[in-house]
Amino acid sequence: MSWNTLLFMIFPYVATVVAVVVTVYRSIYRPFTVSSLSSQLLERKKLYWGSVSFHYGVVIILLMHLLALLFPKGLQLWNAVPIRLYLLEFSGLALGIWSLVGLVVLVWRRISDARVRTVTTSMDVIVLLLLLVSMISGVLTATTYRFGSTWFTAVFSPYLWSLIVLQPQPELVAPLPWIIQLHALNYFILLFVFPFSRLVHIITLPLGYLIRPWQVVIWVREARARAD
Amino acid sequence: MKSTAKRNRVRVYLALVLILLAGFLLSSIYIVGAAPAYQSTEEGKLIFESQCISCHTIGGGRLVGPDLNGIADRRETDWILRFIIEPDRMIAEGDADAAALLAEYNNLAMPNLNLTQTQAEAVFAYISSQSGAGQAQAQPVALPEGNTQRGLSLFVGEMGFENDGVACVACHTVGRVSAYGGGSLGPDLTHVYERYGEAGLASSLGGLPFPTMQGIYRDHPLSPQEQADLLAFFSWSDAQATEIPADQFTTTFWIWGLAGAAALFLIMAIFWMRQRHSISETLRSTS
Repeated sequence: MSWNTLLFMIFPYVATVVAVVVTVYRSIYRPFTVSSLSSQLLERKKLYWGSVSFHYGVVIILLMHLLALLFPKGLQLWNAVPIRLYLLEFSGLALGIWSLVGLVVLVWRRISDARVRTVTTSMDVIVLLLLLVSMISGVLTATTYRFGSTWFTAVFSPYLWSLIVLQPQPELVAPLPWIIQLHALNYFILLFVFPFSRLVHIITLPLGYLIRPWQVVIWVREARARAD
Repeated sequence: MKSTAKRNRVRVYLALVLILLAGFLLSSIYIVGAAPAYQSTEEGKLIFESQCISCHTIGGGRLVGPDLNGIADRRETDWILRFIIEPDRMIAEGDADAAALLAEYNNLAMPNLNLTQTQAEAVFAYISSQSGAGQAQAQPVALPEGNTQRGLSLFVGEMGFENDGVACVACHTVGRVSAYGGGSLGPDLTHVYERYGEAGLASSLGGLPFPTMQGIYRDHPLSPQEQADLLAFFSWSDAQATEIPADQFTTTFWIWGLAGAAALFLIMAIFWMRQRHSISETLRSTS
C-alpha cells in the first residue's frame, strides 16, 4: 500500500467516520461541551482583530471551496474571461491573507495574554497549529501554483467526488506538489480532530434565528443617559 | 440502575464506531487489492499504448524520447526496469547513463509514471516482444489544419474543449497571454514547440502523457481539431512570444492580496470604533 492510498483514500474515510460518529455521540451525551468556549470576557481587543478577520475570511473561503466542488463547470465558465479569473484569484488571496493574519493574532493572543493562557487546553493549541498549516499552505498554493480556482475544478472536484461516491481515485492527487498535498491532507486531519476539539462549534450555526418568531428588544441605555 | 443502562448504551455506540471503522478499513483494503495486476505482454501493451506511445516508438525512430527497439540489448534489465519506475530519482541521483540521455533529448526528463514493479516488467516484456518484430509507434493521426487564433481561445478557455477538458491556462502560461500571465502549476509553454519538436508535441497533445494531466484529461481527451489548433498556437508562440518568469507575476499577486487584506482591516477599524464597551470594562476604566 502506498502513502498516496493511505493518506488520500483510507484516511479521508476514517476521518469522516470519526467526525460524524463522535460528533453525534458528543452532542447526545455531552451536549454542553459542544461550544466554542468563548474567552471574550477575558480579553476583547485582540479577539476582535483576530476573530472577526479569521472567521469571516475562513467561512467565505470554505464556501468557495464548496462551490468549486458543487459547480466545477460554472466556475470554469466564470474563469474563462481573464479579468474575471484575476478578480476571483485576487479576492480569494486577499481573504486568505486577511484570515491568516487574523489567525496569527489569535495565536499571539493565546500566548501573550495570561488570562487567556490559563483557559487554553492542549487541544486548542493543536487546533491553532493545524489551522496555521492549512492557511499558510493555502496562501502559498494561491500565490505559487496559480490558478487554483480553475485547476481545483479539474483535480480536486473529481477527487472529492470520487471519495463521495465511494470510488476513490487518490492517484489524481499523487503528482501534485507537496504543499498542495499537505493542504489537502491537513483538511482531513482537521476533520479527524473536529469532534474532539472546539471546532465542533461549527455545527452550532444558529440557523434557528432565521425562522424564530420576532422579539421586541428595548434598549434602556439611551433613555437612561438622557435621564441622567 | 440508570447509570448502568446509560453505560451499556455508551458501549453499544462505541462498538458501532469500531465496527464502522473496521468496515471502512477492510473495504478500502479490498479495493486496493482489487486493482488489476498487469503481468502479461497483453497488459504491457495496454500500458505502452496509453502511457509510453506519445513519446516513444519501438522501431519507428526517435520521437520525444528514444526509439525503444532492442533496448534489452543496449542496457541491463535492472537499469531499464528502474528507469521505467523512477526516472526522476535516477536523474536526481546523477546516474551517468540517465544524465547522458537527458542531455541527448533536449533536457526533457521522462516523468515518473507511478508504475509498479509488475507493471514495469509487463511493459518491458511487451517492448522486448515487439523489438525487431514491427512498429508500435503512435500511428501519426493526420491532424486537420490548425488555426492559431482558435488555439489561443482554447488555451485561455474563452472557447471550451469539446470533451469538457479544463482550459490550459489553469496551469500553464504562454508569453504575455493576458495581463497577469497564465497559471504556474505546470511549466511555461511559450517554447514548448521547440522543446518537443512538431512531431513530439503533436503526439503529446494526443495522449497528454504527463502525470498530473493524465488524471485530468483521461476522460476528457482533446479532439484532433483542438490538437491541431493548439499545435498552431504553440508554433506561433514559439516564434513570436517571449517567456516571462512566473516570479514576476507572483509578486503582483502578493501585492494585490496584501492590499486587499489591508483594505479589509481598514473596514474592520471602522466597526471597532462602533463596538460597545462591556460593563466590566467601563467599571475597570473608571475606577
